[in-house]
Amino acid sequence: MLELRLVQGSLLKKVLEAIKELVNDANFDCSASGFSLQAMDSSHVALVALLLRSEGFEHYRCDRNLSMGMNLNNMSKMLKCAGNDDIITIKADDGSDTVTFMFESPTQDKISDFEMKLMDIDSEHLGIPEAEYHAIVRMPSAEFARICKDLSSIGDTVVISVTKEGVKFSTRGDIGAANIVCRQNTTVDKPEEATVVEMNEPVSLTFALRYMNSFTKATPLSNTVTISLSNELPVVVEYKIAEMGYVRFYLAPKIEEDEEETKPEV
Amino acid sequence: MNNGSRKRPPPPSQPLPANQPKSQAFSQEDEFVDEDVFLDETLISEDEESLILRDIEQRQALVSRIAKWIRPHLSSEYLSQSCSIFFQQLEIDYVIGESHKELLPNSSGAAAIIRIFGVTKEGHSVCCNVHGFEPYFYISCPPGMRPDDISGFHKILEGRMKESNRNSKVPQFVRRIEMVQRKSIMHYQQHNSQPFLKIVVALPTMVASCRGILDRGIQIDGLGMKSFMTYESNVLFALRFMIDCNIVGGNWIEVPAGKYKKTAKNLSYCQLEFDCLYSELISHAPEGDFSKMAPFRILSFDIECAGRKGHFPEPTHDPVIQIANLVTLQGEGQPFVRNVMTLKSCSPIVGTEVMSFDTEREVLLAWRDFIREVDPDIIIGYNICKFDLPYLIERADALKIAEFPILGRIRSSRVRVKDTTFSSRQLGTRESKEVTIEGRVQFDLLQAMQRDHKLSSYSLNSVSAHFLSEQKEDVHHSIISDLQNGNADTRRRLAVYCLKDAYLPQRLLDKLMFIYNYVEMARVTGVPISFLLSRGQSIKVLSQLLRKAKQKNLVIPNVKQAGSDQGTYEGATVLEARAGFYEKPIATLDFASLYPSIMMAYNLCYCSLVTPEDVRKLNLPPESVNKTPSGETFVKSNLQKGILPEILEELLAARRRAKADLKEAKDPLEKAVLDGRQLALKISANSVYGFTGATVGQLPCIEISSSVTSYGRQMIEHTKNLVEDKFTTLNGYENNAEVIYGDTDSVMVQFGVSSVEEAMKLGREAAEYISGTFTKPIKLEFEKIYYPFLLISKKRYAGLFWTKPDTFDKMDTKGIETVRRDNCLLVKNLVNDCLHKILIDRDIPGAVQHVKNAISDLLMNRMDLSLLVITKGLTKTGDDYEVKAAHVELAERMRKRDAATAPNVGDRVPYVIIKGAKGAKAYEKSEDPIYVLENNIPIDPQYYLENQISKPILRIFEPILKNASRELLHGSHTRSISISTPSNSGIMKFAKKQLTCIGCKALLSNGDHTLCSHCKGREAELYCKTVAQVSNLETLFGKLWTQCQECQGSLHQDVLCTSRDCPIFYRRKKAQKDMAEAKLQLDRWNF
Repeated sequence: MLELRLVQGSLLKKVLEAIKELVNDANFDCSASGFSLQAMDSSHVALVALLLRSEGFEHYRCDRNLSMGMNLNNMSKMLKCAGNDDIITIKADDGSDTVTFMFESPTQDKISDFEMKLMDIDSEHLGIPEAEYHAIVRMPSAEFARICKDLSSIGDTVVISVTKEGVKFSTRGDIGAANIVCRQNTTVDKPEEATVVEMNEPVSLTFALRYMNSFTKATPLSNTVTISLSNELPVVVEYKIAEMGYVRFYLAPKIEEDEEETKPEV
Repeated sequence: MNNGSRKRPPPPSQPLPANQPKSQAFSQEDEFVDEDVFLDETLISEDEESLILRDIEQRQALVSRIAKWIRPHLSSEYLSQSCSIFFQQLEIDYVIGESHKELLPNSSGAAAIIRIFGVTKEGHSVCCNVHGFEPYFYISCPPGMRPDDISGFHKILEGRMKESNRNSKVPQFVRRIEMVQRKSIMHYQQHNSQPFLKIVVALPTMVASCRGILDRGIQIDGLGMKSFMTYESNVLFALRFMIDCNIVGGNWIEVPAGKYKKTAKNLSYCQLEFDCLYSELISHAPEGDFSKMAPFRILSFDIECAGRKGHFPEPTHDPVIQIANLVTLQGEGQPFVRNVMTLKSCSPIVGTEVMSFDTEREVLLAWRDFIREVDPDIIIGYNICKFDLPYLIERADALKIAEFPILGRIRSSRVRVKDTTFSSRQLGTRESKEVTIEGRVQFDLLQAMQRDHKLSSYSLNSVSAHFLSEQKEDVHHSIISDLQNGNADTRRRLAVYCLKDAYLPQRLLDKLMFIYNYVEMARVTGVPISFLLSRGQSIKVLSQLLRKAKQKNLVIPNVKQAGSDQGTYEGATVLEARAGFYEKPIATLDFASLYPSIMMAYNLCYCSLVTPEDVRKLNLPPESVNKTPSGETFVKSNLQKGILPEILEELLAARRRAKADLKEAKDPLEKAVLDGRQLALKISANSVYGFTGATVGQLPCIEISSSVTSYGRQMIEHTKNLVEDKFTTLNGYENNAEVIYGDTDSVMVQFGVSSVEEAMKLGREAAEYISGTFTKPIKLEFEKIYYPFLLISKKRYAGLFWTKPDTFDKMDTKGIETVRRDNCLLVKNLVNDCLHKILIDRDIPGAVQHVKNAISDLLMNRMDLSLLVITKGLTKTGDDYEVKAAHVELAERMRKRDAATAPNVGDRVPYVIIKGAKGAKAYEKSEDPIYVLENNIPIDPQYYLENQISKPILRIFEPILKNASRELLHGSHTRSISISTPSNSGIMKFAKKQLTCIGCKALLSNGDHTLCSHCKGREAELYCKTVAQVSNLETLFGKLWTQCQECQGSLHQDVLCTSRDCPIFYRRKKAQKDMAEAKLQLDRWNF
């Protein structure tokens, strides 16, 4: 028996919007500690990790560890039917091949039940081990989204370099080149507008903008984004979900030789 | 060689790309010209010859080894020249030599000598030098020219010829000009004949240069500048000779005793070599005893080269290490010679003579000696014309073995290699080498396959699998070097492989009866056998036309190639298809040989066509002309009998005879000959119409072809109306008949009756009734019933085929994905199985379930990769394609990975579609199947579902099932999927697999590594399940491995095969991978 009641239902809606562009079908893993998902995108270049800790739910009941395969497109279709202020409850019975989403309006005058058929997804469970990163950049998430969008109109890849002064995003394309530098800036009114760079070693890595842009779909989840970089490690782009957990995106840096292979055609 | 005037400028609308010069110039399949070869130029000097001979003495041991296979000795009658010589000719060519002093005492200087190569019924090889035949052509005699003016004209022409052939030593170019009475084949003419000039020239190539002069115009005293239309000036010399002597390809020729002279000095290796006059030859029509085949010697061979890693073998670097040979007598089941020549030692092989040599030079020379002693008439192999033969010759050149390329029948005449560019709309541009081996016919099975059969792959392996249900191991050429550098046993392995490559072409040749079919085709159409592979259809029709025209005193104009500006004409009609699933018998009424019948019935021919101008002028009585539905006028046969109808009548009559004889025949060989003949006759009859319609052909005549199709359209409509008018309840029939579909030459009728027998009766009645309304010999035949019948759309249908009331004959499909080449095998199998279930088992729910299972397997990644491979031909390089295509992009990517294994232009490229980023195009997602297997890359099931399976399946099910798409493509069976993890992707270098519960897939917490606490209770059950899975996979893999070992012919050696065409290969690889994974899972228990 599984029953998860989330007062801030819009959160789940935002999570789905954040990941459904990268992942089609995935297993949601439920355990006593929380509700999570790990999946590779269909081209096996990026990895998505989602965690919603049990403490964040108003009511959390999970009798046994459970893996539920869902088609994220269909799931998103159903969640779209929930109002932004609705309370969402996820329910599943042991051994059942369906999951139920229940939406309650804040005034309790409307309750909707949506039942979705589950999928049986046979896939390997992947995770990226925690590691020490050479550089960690925290910046406003909207700013990061804007940078990725702007750069992708010029080039296909972005070089992210972190130095003492700040973080530089640069690209190069047929029509020209672009460089955007964000300086360390902690003297702001609101803490979420700060740009903080913690650096042990300077790093400079290249990534495909196509994926970066997909990651920024998670912007509504959090005001800030944390980008952790290390040479020879995938970048982690993390959006914290207040008091509950996070959505993390991992992306392998582009290396010269596979540039040809994965280079997106225009 | 002045053939410059023949090449037309390329059409202006298509400027030539710089990287493919002159491809346009050869775009016509029949753009072949005579080439004069001077006898003395090709021969090797005496010194050299003696050097070769001395060389032979040194290798006496080898020669005696080979000598046991020589041809039977000549009997005394042959030796004393007291008997007539009968032989079946295979090859006719000509050389330029001194004209024969004794046979032709009146002429001197260079002349063309025809050489006929053949075999007697005892198996003696024959080379017959025919003298006295001269090249010629016609022009129409200019009005006002009298016989006395000819000598003047002769002088002018001779002068012009001298100017344009300055460096020729020939004393006289134009031998003579005669005035003859002939008639042009074009258009109906009321007069019987008019004067033509027959221009006889010295050498065959002069026909072309003389024609060029006459085309451009010539100044004639009293008549001014005049250009002439030439007639029959595009006929190859050898063909001209055959036509004039009534010789057809592969027939028997008799040279009476006393009429031939043994040559003073033998120039060839043939046992019987003699000179004779062309007028003394007796050509026997292929009937009775003369329809048999002489015991030709057929050599099938294959070579192996040791390539370097990453490179395709090149003759300048890579040695020839083995040559396998098989020699078979025509008509015998088993080869009488089976040997393999190897570089370095090789362990013995049962039933095969292994000849090992220490140097490559010895291998090559041994092969040359072998060819000379065994003296094969026909050389076959797979891709020999483009690879094996040129490779051997270029390799010998690189090794400076000048005496190697003496492979022909002419003593000390070297083999000539010519670069050719063959380009056609179907096959694309192919650059290749043409090797001329005098007196021996080359028959490359690859070319024959590409010509006659549409297959998804033309590798020897897949062709053998298709026709012989036999496979061979496919050793990648980079492994060959390793085997060669091993020991005698690894070389033996290579030799076995090489022998199989030599054996399979012979098997294919026998199985598909290529010799019978091609010889019969040559006999029917009258062209030499070698033309059949290298030339197109039109030369065959032209040959028949020329023969017939000669009998009728007609001459054929050499029409300037008009290109495509003559426009197109309306093709055949297709009645609208009433799609649906018919569970009542459908009768099919066919017109027998519709187009040939129309041409015969309405006397459509070049010579019966009346020009619009003549229609007005000649005032022909309306009862003796036919006005065709397309508006042309043709006279009826009482005024002028057409030649084409006459050719067709003879072809069809001969076919009827052959079919009747076929029924009588008992002997399987005789049956094979007759069946080959009737097939050849049918194809020839049908190609006559195409000949008149080919706008770039030899003698296009759109008036004829458009008339033919217009009559065809009219008849289909007429039939439909008659059937629907007559078979009605009003006329006392049970039901109203309904025409549900009609194509080019058939109409499908539903009479409404429910038994096959009744439908047959009505079908026969309808056929007879309607036939009566047509001009003879047009005949509507009732042939078959389709029951049940699934009509999908125009040109797409399937049904059970009944010709007798009690059982059906087979399942017949048209235009359905069972035959398309660019679909993956999955689609083909699925469609076939569904049709089988629907039509034969009448089990529609079963068919639906079958589709669901297949889709589920696809989503669960249980599908064999071989079923998902799509192949497409690579006809040009990536830059030339306007849009990006999956196979082209893949070829490009593979070239970057490893240039040696990447597909080249002309190859067919196999690929699968893999998962890619969202929105990635199909061309970005194509991948080499082997690469996919090795790296465990997940395929994209959605692509296969949406782009491959969905359309063909829905087409079949839509007439049967409501909501087919929802039922089949979106049901609950699509909710089980498997996402596999590739081993080479970017993120996988960093990600770690986390253990999940074997029972329920839930993520495991730290302590456990097999099952979650919840599943602990099922431990025993789950353990057994895992063990069972491993052992199942082991068994499967074991079976597949054994299968591959059997295929390679050795059960105690490693399997090396990496054949991209073999389904077993993919299954074996996959089973191996699955087994390894299952074992890993089992290891997790680790009690």
